[in-house]
Amino acid sequence: MNTATVRNTGARSIPAPVARAALVAALIAVWQVAPTVGLLDPRLLPPPSVVGPMIVQLFGEAGFRGHLATTLLETLVAFLVSVPVGFIMAILIGENKYASDIFKPLVFFVFSIPKSIFLPLFIFAFGISFHQKVAFGVFSTLFIVMMLSFAAIESVRRDHLVVARSYGATRMQTVLRVYLPGMTPVLLEAIRVSMIFNFTGILLAEMYASREGLGNVIEQWGQGFQLDRLMATIVVIAAIAIVFNETIRALESRCEHWRE
Amino acid sequence: MGLKAVVSSPSPAFSTDESGAVEVTNVGHVYETASGTTEALTDISFRVETGRFISIVGPSGCGKSSLLMMIAGLVQPTRGTITAGGRPLVQPDPTRIGVVFQDASLYPWLTARSNVEFPLSLRHVDHKIRRERAEEALDLVGLAGFADKHPHELSGGMKQRVALARGLVQDPPILLMDEPFAALDEQTRLTMGDEVLRIWERTRKTIIFVTHGLSEAIHLSDEVLVLTSRPGKLVDRVSVDLPRPRSFEVMGGRRFEELRERIWQRIRS
Repeated sequence: MNTATVRNTGARSIPAPVARAALVAALIAVWQVAPTVGLLDPRLLPPPSVVGPMIVQLFGEAGFRGHLATTLLETLVAFLVSVPVGFIMAILIGENKYASDIFKPLVFFVFSIPKSIFLPLFIFAFGISFHQKVAFGVFSTLFIVMMLSFAAIESVRRDHLVVARSYGATRMQTVLRVYLPGMTPVLLEAIRVSMIFNFTGILLAEMYASREGLGNVIEQWGQGFQLDRLMATIVVIAAIAIVFNETIRALESRCEHWRE
Repeated sequence: MGLKAVVSSPSPAFSTDESGAVEVTNVGHVYETASGTTEALTDISFRVETGRFISIVGPSGCGKSSLLMMIAGLVQPTRGTITAGGRPLVQPDPTRIGVVFQDASLYPWLTARSNVEFPLSLRHVDHKIRRERAEEALDLVGLAGFADKHPHELSGGMKQRVALARGLVQDPPILLMDEPFAALDEQTRLTMGDEVLRIWERTRKTIIFVTHGLSEAIHLSDEVLVLTSRPGKLVDRVSVDLPRPRSFEVMGGRRFEELRERIWQRIRS
């Protein structure tokens, strides 16, 4: 028996979810205690006892709710454009060997470029506007959607397609009844990861130049040294991101056996 | 027409029944590779009469699976013709031919019942009839109680039974099986062989069974076709004259050993 096995059995006496919850609770406790006892300047890191009520206060302010609505709308529109467009482009490219040879390397090239450096160009093209935020969100997301869609298409098992053909499936039937369900697990993963890129793109565009939105207030309150408001906004954004991510992950685990 | 109807329907007395006959004439297959063209199969000709159980054996790479895919209409031969039920096949025709693949190839997102119904649903068969037929087919393969299970809840042998039910659900006169039990353990393989024989005796379909197991081929078939490799060529047709049902004693007997030896010699040559 090797040492790794011995160590594992010892660590497993506490169930992982309990240990995880304890770790998060401990971090929040440190966050609370450190500024209170003077280990950290409370003006630099306001404790949860300040940030918590501030979140409630922010939701009571019409201005903040407006910023939240703007960001969510921009994110939603950019997402609803980039995911279907990226997916359809990936299918058109992935379906044809010649098109794959031409376009796939290009998609990989563009994907590797940091998208933030194009922000000034988007302002030239669209001005500081809703459209500019959405356009940049789409630009940030499109290439990861395409790359993950390529993977989704490849995840469809060949023998599943042969079975459909041997039972006389039409092209449409093959797409709807074999390709789509066959791709679903990887596609859900694509949606989840794409949202991370999309949300990041929108917030970045707002922080760089905007008149409204959560990115705008983050930038503003950071510059204005209003760290209670800044921290509260960070917690709200983190919560939105985690809730979306976990919802899709729950769907993913429900069709986990589809990958079999 | 349900599966049971086949057993009771009288075969026409005036001529031999063509519905389940398969005729392969001068079939050759060539495919392109990076290093040029490769001849996979050359000049294969044979005829299988309705209701016969034949096996195709040969070393791996002899093209026996390709040959089966051509009979299924999934691959077009480079040369020669293939007819099933007296008519040529230009594309898969599930009403004439059912196929059972090496991996059960069930759709993991569908229940056993929906997997069996799949071929019928492609043809927009009425929901009630679809369900009836699927249940009949699942019953035939001994899985009546498992209709609502998903493939990941079934054992390897059970998955192949579902695949077999899917192949039978449209009641095609011809059933093609491509190394269907290769991935199963020895015990399950033997059980599944007996299952296929039981179903064959009840439905009297023409079965063409590709395998690399010589004992399995002899145990199941009326006749064994032997292919050699590179290019795949039909070198022998061995009639299995062992009485049915083939008991354990028959399978250990002298005649069985003779047949096995003959096939083995032909494969090695």
